[in-house]
Amino acid sequence: MTSLTGRGGNSGYGEPVVAESVAYDAPHAGVSARGLFRSFGPVGAVQGMDLEAYPGQVTALVGPNGAGKTTLLLILATLLAPDAGWVRVAGFDPSTAPGEVRARMGWAPDMLGFYDALTVAEYLDVMAAAHRIPAARRQQTIPAALAAARLVEQAPARVHTLSRGQKQRLSLARSLIHGPSVLLLDEPAAGLDPRSRIELHDLLRQLAVEGRTVLVSSHALDDLEEFADQVVFVDRGRTVASHRVDQLPAHAGPRLYRVRTLDAAALAQALDTRGVTATPAGPSAVDVQVFGGEANAARLLAELVEAGVPVTGFGPVGGSLEAAYLQLTDDPAVRR
Amino acid sequence: MITNGIATVAGLEFRLRLRTGRWRWLLASWLIVLTGIAALIRLSVRPEIVGEEVVDYTGSFMFGGLMLVVLGLALLIAPALAAQSVNGDRERGTLAPLQITGLTSWDLTIGKLLASWGTGAVFLLVTAPLALWCLAEGGLGIGRIFAVYAVMTLLIGVICAVSLGLSAAVARTTTSSVLAYLAVFTLTAGTGVLFALLLAVTSETVQQQSNGEVFSYSEQRPDRIWWVLAPNPFIILADAAPETPTTTFQLPDGTVIEQRQDADLLGALSQAARELRQPPEVFLPGNDVPEPTPEPAPVWPYGLGFQLVLAAGALLLTERRLRTPAGALPTGQRVA
Ligand SMILES: Nc1ncnc2c1ncn2[C@@H]1O[C@H](COP(=O)(O)OP(=O)(O)OP(=O)(O)O)[C@@H](O)[C@H]1O
Ligand SMILES: [Mg+2]
Repeated sequence: MTSLTGRGGNSGYGEPVVAESVAYDAPHAGVSARGLFRSFGPVGAVQGMDLEAYPGQVTALVGPNGAGKTTLLLILATLLAPDAGWVRVAGFDPSTAPGEVRARMGWAPDMLGFYDALTVAEYLDVMAAAHRIPAARRQQTIPAALAAARLVEQAPARVHTLSRGQKQRLSLARSLIHGPSVLLLDEPAAGLDPRSRIELHDLLRQLAVEGRTVLVSSHALDDLEEFADQVVFVDRGRTVASHRVDQLPAHAGPRLYRVRTLDAAALAQALDTRGVTATPAGPSAVDVQVFGGEANAARLLAELVEAGVPVTGFGPVGGSLEAAYLQLTDDPAVRR
Repeated sequence: MITNGIATVAGLEFRLRLRTGRWRWLLASWLIVLTGIAALIRLSVRPEIVGEEVVDYTGSFMFGGLMLVVLGLALLIAPALAAQSVNGDRERGTLAPLQITGLTSWDLTIGKLLASWGTGAVFLLVTAPLALWCLAEGGLGIGRIFAVYAVMTLLIGVICAVSLGLSAAVARTTTSSVLAYLAVFTLTAGTGVLFALLLAVTSETVQQQSNGEVFSYSEQRPDRIWWVLAPNPFIILADAAPETPTTTFQLPDGTVIEQRQDADLLGALSQAARELRQPPEVFLPGNDVPEPTPEPAPVWPYGLGFQLVLAAGALLLTERRLRTPAGALPTGQRVA
């Protein structure tokens, strides 16, 4: 039986989050996709994706440009029909019961398109009407969505006057307007300032805590570690791996470490005598490639200190998610 | 209150048009131009120019000329109202968010049609004072006014539907606009040119014996190809108008002659179109007077029928292209 990750032999990153028996036997109200395929003419955008996103969790979809994340989200959002595969969103099949899915699913596309001539409040009102929410109930849902997306002050402003980050938040408000239980967000953090990013993360966490399923695609790996429960790696249309964020393994492959020092010459010489190749990373820092895991990194640091190099900083470049990402998307076994 | 999908879409589109265009100026200049044309036609109604008998039908004459101008201009405006309706929304990223709401593809299709058609109807409605002016000039029945406006409204709706279909079928907005204008051009000038060419091609050589001598001449057979001209909007409009009143003359010898008043342009065009259906006159041997032929039948039901079928086809195509989840996409088109 193939593993949920689609790559059973991918050791070194721990076990997939979900045991197969759970994934395949217990239907849930989140998002399930198995063996998904979709191509556009000769371009195979999605070529065998598997994904489980559970209620109460934030699931991150990660992968290089063109990996098929947006295509996958379009399939889940009932906009694209898959060529093959099994899909459930909020318990319904987007192909045969799109209406049921739409009533329970909110989607924020990667493209920020609104009717520029309308005000923020008017726009949300139209979208709520399109969701067939009665006018009386819109009086409550719209302020709630505006508050959740921190757009209360912008409510009377014309949409075209909004900044990119504010439009990103309007897109989020739009996806929340009908109280969906599944949220599909395509790069919702793009263009947000640091504070708005943190607010977005808090909001997504809160939505998950409320029992909703949140699936986000993102390129901001450092951020994901802070708010995602699960990460699904995709590359070239395939699911490459799927992990719980808190179980990302310490990893054994080569990894970049940044070394800061007060004496660049001494550091260069010490590294040189040990045959370690270093690439400059600023006036008083170099990046070194460390093989064999954290133990070797610790040994290198000890040796440098012993050799009298005034080391002021020594640590891995990027988080563990980034390391896993780089490894997974650049694995010759994956790159067929 | 149950929110109606078609009303939601049509209302939204109408509101957007109202906000973005400089409608007041556009409608004002439209009315000013047409008033000028109406005044010029009115001034030309002098016995020494148009003949004694027309003066009694000044209103009819004015109305006919004016309506042909209005139709010509309306045919220029109508494609612009709908030719970017679907692909423009797709380009701006505003279509997909609507498609994942409770709106059906028919809601979107009919709503968009009604918005563009309604805008075209507003242009027509603005000309109502001019029709009243014609009515006041005399010689014009109110029924004729209503019939002409009704047919014109239908014709504008057809052009809107065809343009909408093109906007749904073609990914680029410029392409669909050009195609929509080409479609209008084909229906108007194209039918005329095709008719003229076919008239030459289908003319046949007739041999006739007269006084023992055989001579041959070429005879045109418009009665075989009249239907080529039938879809022409101008001919439909002219021919669908109720017949102009007849006048009766009493000749000096006492016989009463009933004569159709076809002095106005609509009437003349209608007469000409119907005469095309008349087969060549047949002379029985030894008879100098041609056999009586029945009164030619109207052309407009065929033309209008064709146009309505065209519009229905365009709407079916639009709905197909708006249906989600989308299967095969036209090359170069993204859902979102
Ligand atoms: N409508 C389409 N027609 C043709 N090719 C398409 C279409 N949509 C997507 N593709 C192709 O499918 C592949 C996957 O695209 P997709 O947009 O899903 O990538 P992505 O993972 O979202 O990338 P990014 O991180 O850049 O957003 C790409 O090679 C893209 O060119
Ligand atoms: Mg994308």
